[in-house]
Amino acid sequence: MKKLYILILSLIALSFLMPDTIYAIPAFARKYGFTCTMCHTAYPKLNDFGQRFRDNGYQIPGQEGSEKNVLEIPPPISLRTSTGLSIYDSKQGTTSGFNVYGLDLLAAGVLHKNISFLIVYTPRIDVPAANYTGTNPSQPGSMESANIVFSNIIQDAFNLRIGRFEPAPQVFSSHRSFYIMEPYEVYSFMTPANSFVFADNQIGVEATGHFKNGFKYGVGIVNGNGGNPDNSNYKDVYLNLIQVIGKGDGQSAGQRVGLFGYYGWQPTVLPGTVVAPTGETNGGGNKPFYRLGGDVSLNWSTLNLEMLLMQGNDDKALNTLVPSTDYRYSGGFVEVDWAALMNNRLIASVLYNWVSPPSYDNGRAIKAYSLLVRHYLGDWTAFNVVLHGEYTYREIGTTNPIKDNLFTILVDFDF
Amino acid sequence: MKRVKRFLMLVVLIAPSSLIAQESPKQQVLPDITSINVHSLGPQRISSLPPVPVPVDNPQTSMKVQLGKQLYFDTRLSKDNTVSCQTCHSPSMGWSDAGPTSTGINGQKGTRRAPPVSNAAYNPLQFWDGRAASLEDQAEGPMQNPVEMGNTLDNVVKTLNSVPGYVEEFKQVFWTTPITIDQVIKAIAAFERIVITTDSPFDRYIGGDRKALSPLEKQGMAIFNGKGHCTSCHWGPNFSDGRFHNLGAVQTGPLNVDNGRYDVTHNPKDMSAFKTPTVRDAGLRPPYMHDGSEKTLESVVDFYNKGGGDNDSNLDPLIVPLGLSKEEVKALVAFMSVALTSSNPEVAHLKPVHTSELPK
Repeated sequence: MKKLYILILSLIALSFLMPDTIYAIPAFARKYGFTCTMCHTAYPKLNDFGQRFRDNGYQIPGQEGSEKNVLEIPPPISLRTSTGLSIYDSKQGTTSGFNVYGLDLLAAGVLHKNISFLIVYTPRIDVPAANYTGTNPSQPGSMESANIVFSNIIQDAFNLRIGRFEPAPQVFSSHRSFYIMEPYEVYSFMTPANSFVFADNQIGVEATGHFKNGFKYGVGIVNGNGGNPDNSNYKDVYLNLIQVIGKGDGQSAGQRVGLFGYYGWQPTVLPGTVVAPTGETNGGGNKPFYRLGGDVSLNWSTLNLEMLLMQGNDDKALNTLVPSTDYRYSGGFVEVDWAALMNNRLIASVLYNWVSPPSYDNGRAIKAYSLLVRHYLGDWTAFNVVLHGEYTYREIGTTNPIKDNLFTILVDFDF
Repeated sequence: MKRVKRFLMLVVLIAPSSLIAQESPKQQVLPDITSINVHSLGPQRISSLPPVPVPVDNPQTSMKVQLGKQLYFDTRLSKDNTVSCQTCHSPSMGWSDAGPTSTGINGQKGTRRAPPVSNAAYNPLQFWDGRAASLEDQAEGPMQNPVEMGNTLDNVVKTLNSVPGYVEEFKQVFWTTPITIDQVIKAIAAFERIVITTDSPFDRYIGGDRKALSPLEKQGMAIFNGKGHCTSCHWGPNFSDGRFHNLGAVQTGPLNVDNGRYDVTHNPKDMSAFKTPTVRDAGLRPPYMHDGSEKTLESVVDFYNKGGGDNDSNLDPLIVPLGLSKEEVKALVAFMSVALTSSNPEVAHLKPVHTSELPK
């Protein structure tokens, strides 16, 4: 029992040290000669302009067709990593150490008018700092994103993204969060017998559209198991609807409300009878699950309030704890970000995360309180260095919860 | 699942044809802007100006420039001998006028702000709505405009041919007589191609003089190129993308509605869209916007800070609220009004050609 306890604690600590890969693409800034704050409130979080740039297939709206392609600009490659000191404290004691918190290699650009691409590779620089999602434990890294975007197929109303990408329902991107150590817990929460993780990038096809009246949609069909080869012939689908009220895009101005739903299938008979050369299997006994939620982003001056509520439901066949009933949980987060100083060179933020699993699984309930300060050292074009301090107090479980603290101070840089 | 497969097949079939369809120009009267040499490269860094582009059929010569300068300041090009190019594009007012719109013959009021002549040579298209593809084409316009110079091209040529001094000068420049309107506009355009401002503190800073900008102006430059989103349109050496944008501005002045670029292309996307003006020397020529509705650079920045104007029916997607603080606005204005103001004496303080010095 004691060993199990230690194992659980280790896993919790491990999850603290396993940040999501974070996107910021200085290659774009180099291409245009912009500074980071053109597209980011402060990197990596997108502002309204950056969101519209992304929605338009990494082309400046209105400049389609006159954008330089990848062969006409400096190599469209960017790198981001962070390194520093973490101090972890729990009832069991205190640990501390210097770390390198993952590495992102990014390439992105325009291939042709309305055809662009994004690739994010995360080498496995140590275990488990990189965002490892492959099936082979010795895999040297993960192709976290590799997608091609066909933009403006029907003007702004229909754009296609094909490959591995961040699905539209992740409207608060876990990859572009200011928080490096603390994830959006409800995105990362795993149910007992379902390998689906909401925070994962998925492989498939996504259609998106945006309209002058502030309405946006995203609809997709994906494998539903991250970067792993698909384990069944059933595909997952999702829908995301957004309405922006007022000027802006809801990222740094305007008020945004949204609804999202994800409906997926998880095989209960693995690995299936057929294994394709590319790794896919035809797992059987597929059972459904869904995630539903709503989100709000409110802006006032340089304050941004983000809220998300999500409910998850797995078919009872996926509930190994109480097989007679569906596994239901809920969760969400509230985050307030404040951009200060000239050109948003200081970011302060507070974040509250919670996940409420069913009572018979309340040992995995989560409450997490985080705060963060980031100071950007310059207004440079196409690279930046940030001093980042982040603290999280977390409780796992409801009765005799495990309480821990994680304090991290690091240097975050990209170019 | 079958439905899903059918849908995907449909998408695969439709997508390439749709993409090809996007390639074809839509209802463009003038050549597609991307086919025009100077700005065919897409968004570029703000930087020093390159050598001015000169059309093959109108090479620069010092005599032609001098002739063009005389024509520029000569009121005899107008119907009643009261208006010259300088009337609305005065060197002492940043090569524009006091505005908000210009005054032509018989005190008639125009409907738009006079665009600056300085650095206009870098514009791929001329006028607020881009209806002229070159400085030569542009030069024809005001002479015939009944509200501006109110003349006819035939009458301009007739007038100039009646001035022996001009006949002689044109002959020396173009080697032919009589004077033609083509020669007139080429001479004026040649003069306008030397009205280039290259010696601003920004240019000196870019050239390596790190003290050329004050700390406030440097902050302003960072905001201009970042949080202020100015370079999403005001990019490149001339601080202009040469393209057309609807800023949501509520029309002021004599017109209730100004269709802007739409009147040229008849593309609904261009409704009330106007050409991005250069920011170089902007501090010298208030008021601002196509209708001169913003009196100061501060009010221009406030306008953008709010996310443009209230008429957002065709608002450009580049226009978003900026969240600039008062300090950031101050820095941005300092950059635009001081750091981008040139001190080229031959341009900024060009002495007009006095009537007595004009050919007789």
